[in-house]
Amino acid sequence: MKIAIFGNPNTGKSTIFNLLTGLRQKIGNFPGVTVEKKSGVIKLNNEEHELIDVPGIYSIYPSNQEEKVVYDLLVSSHDNERPELGILVVDASNLTRGLFLFSQLIDCGIPLVLVINMNDLAEKNGICIDLDLLKSTYNNTPIVLMNARVGLGKDRLLSALNNQINLLTTEPIQVSNHQISLDDLSGQEHEAFKRHESISNVVNKVVKRSTKSPRLNALDHWLTHPIIGYLIFMVILFVIFQFVFSFASYPMDLIEKGFEWLTNVIKGFLTEGPLSELICEGIIPGISGVLVFIPQIGILFFFIALLEDSGYLARAVFLMDRLVRPFGLNGRSVVPLLSSMACAIPGIMATRGIPNYKERIITIFVAPLMSCSARIPVFTLLIGLVIPKMKLFGFIHLQGMVLFSLYVLGIVSALFNAWIMHLILKNEKRSYYLMEIPDFKRPLWRNIFFTVYEKIKVFTTEAGGIILAISIVLWALASYGPTEKRREAIQLLKNTRTYKLKSIEEKEGLENAILLENSYIGIVGKGIEPLIKPIGYDWKIGIALITSFAAREVFVGSLSTIYATEGTGNDLRLTERLKNQKRPDGTLIFSLRTGISLMVFYVYAMQCISTLSIVKRETKSWKWPLLQVMVFGFMAYTGAWICFNI
Amino acid sequence: MFLNELKKGDQANIVRITDDLFRTKLLEMGIMPGTLITLFFKAPFNGPIAFSYENSLLSIRKEDANNILVEKMMHHK
Repeated sequence: MKIAIFGNPNTGKSTIFNLLTGLRQKIGNFPGVTVEKKSGVIKLNNEEHELIDVPGIYSIYPSNQEEKVVYDLLVSSHDNERPELGILVVDASNLTRGLFLFSQLIDCGIPLVLVINMNDLAEKNGICIDLDLLKSTYNNTPIVLMNARVGLGKDRLLSALNNQINLLTTEPIQVSNHQISLDDLSGQEHEAFKRHESISNVVNKVVKRSTKSPRLNALDHWLTHPIIGYLIFMVILFVIFQFVFSFASYPMDLIEKGFEWLTNVIKGFLTEGPLSELICEGIIPGISGVLVFIPQIGILFFFIALLEDSGYLARAVFLMDRLVRPFGLNGRSVVPLLSSMACAIPGIMATRGIPNYKERIITIFVAPLMSCSARIPVFTLLIGLVIPKMKLFGFIHLQGMVLFSLYVLGIVSALFNAWIMHLILKNEKRSYYLMEIPDFKRPLWRNIFFTVYEKIKVFTTEAGGIILAISIVLWALASYGPTEKRREAIQLLKNTRTYKLKSIEEKEGLENAILLENSYIGIVGKGIEPLIKPIGYDWKIGIALITSFAAREVFVGSLSTIYATEGTGNDLRLTERLKNQKRPDGTLIFSLRTGISLMVFYVYAMQCISTLSIVKRETKSWKWPLLQVMVFGFMAYTGAWICFNI
Repeated sequence: MFLNELKKGDQANIVRITDDLFRTKLLEMGIMPGTLITLFFKAPFNGPIAFSYENSLLSIRKEDANNILVEKMMHHK
């Protein structure tokens, strides 16, 4: 049986969902739309049932794409998706609003179990509900008191569900489908008035309230203060990024070291050959390249979930909305864009909370322009190569300044792109920014854990597969090439005088470089040389650009192989070696112009295949990722051209 | 006066909501003529505002607040 869990936003719906299903959760999409569908297994009467968590709504008549899911589910354009039983979660402090939705759902013919949640908070606020009276008013519906955050009332809910299911199997309910059309606004308004009339009669009898003045607490006074509020938000962001960038590096190092160790172990077991190479140079670096991002993503979403569950996030959204609106963004775009500075993949995943379709598309579109952590090694290498270690005005480090400018360039370009899209895109339907600001709550670790777990799971399954696949393909392209040609090239190398004078280690390095040059990827790199020459790159950089499609930081490793540096991972040596590379005409390859051109190229270019696949997944169309490739590619190329030629 | 013209801490009764769709949306949330609201915060630079009604705190954008006609309650701090 399909059971859906309905409720107004912030009523503790997700808490109850987590309480009932535990880890047996599945993330998917509602049919036909991109709205996330969370479902889980719940065991009742020794039978397994599907519990569906639907978006929080105030009314079944939707005001945005996310809410329309609920309407579709009920009026079901998809008959097998229609839930046969519903749980409606109502905030005890706000019975009127809950009962409004209750009366709509009942009229749709969905049998319900009504959960009055957070009764303790309501009583603290001087609101007392006469449960017996409420029960006798709605005597067809079981009513359960819960305090889900502390797990109170779970057994009562389960037994009420049990009873309902038994009842439903003996006498199936008639589905009445009396509905007002979505476009008939005055009809909806009339209906809403009638409902409120009868509900206020009930509420006046059932709810006893002792008068209390509205609760403006001191915390809120400072958190939403026109100046202090922003400062507090900045400090919180600073702390989060401190954690994401510095403290994540320990587990990241550990993961990388672990996989290095594993590679050595496997190399010891397997005899040298294609299989060993496939595992040690294709698969393991691929897996390691996926897992290495998990600490950052986990830490980031831990904080986002913490802020959300405690109620702070709604205040931050409130403060930021005005600042980002001229760019066609929403207050809720801020967190996804900031997340993209760690990695665009979780950032784009976090856009699901943006209710307006247009604002969400814009946020997704510009997210990859925020400088992600995979770009850091690339920028560090290039800056070390071409920017002198000197101080401006005696105290500003020029190198640091350049890195900072690259971040700013990314942010400014993201806003500029957003603004252009804001001018071009039309809003399909008028929508409102209507956001409830919840009370502060002590965060619930269980809810936070589920969020982090879910995000990491989505990342490893969705992006992980792609990163891994591309790593393997790139490895194959870099390891194989036309056999005859490679043999000749190696022969040619061995006959040169310089080769004969080198040590064994250096010889191996030179051989590897020649092999890479004559691999399939080397052939492609040479093929695109005419294209990248105008922006200052040779075919060797071309190879590194192509390998960056697995993940941008691969650029560094590729350069290191192709320029035959021995002892990979030694950045200093790589920098020295690259600095001395010369073109056939004797000029430096990594001149200031080429370096800056490359940096600008990496700020813009849409090189991350896994980001593209996530964009496709979230927008349900190839249109947006293709547009990103073209627009950002154009910006990268023009930007790089300008930097190289001026 | 309009909701947007209230100051932080002001209490007011809603008189009329002019925009059709917005009126319906608010009505569904239980906000209608006669509802007592208190202005809680205003974000700077004409940003969104937040007001409380019954036991909830709701934030809306300034231009939407300009669709809500209110009557300010006097003698109330």
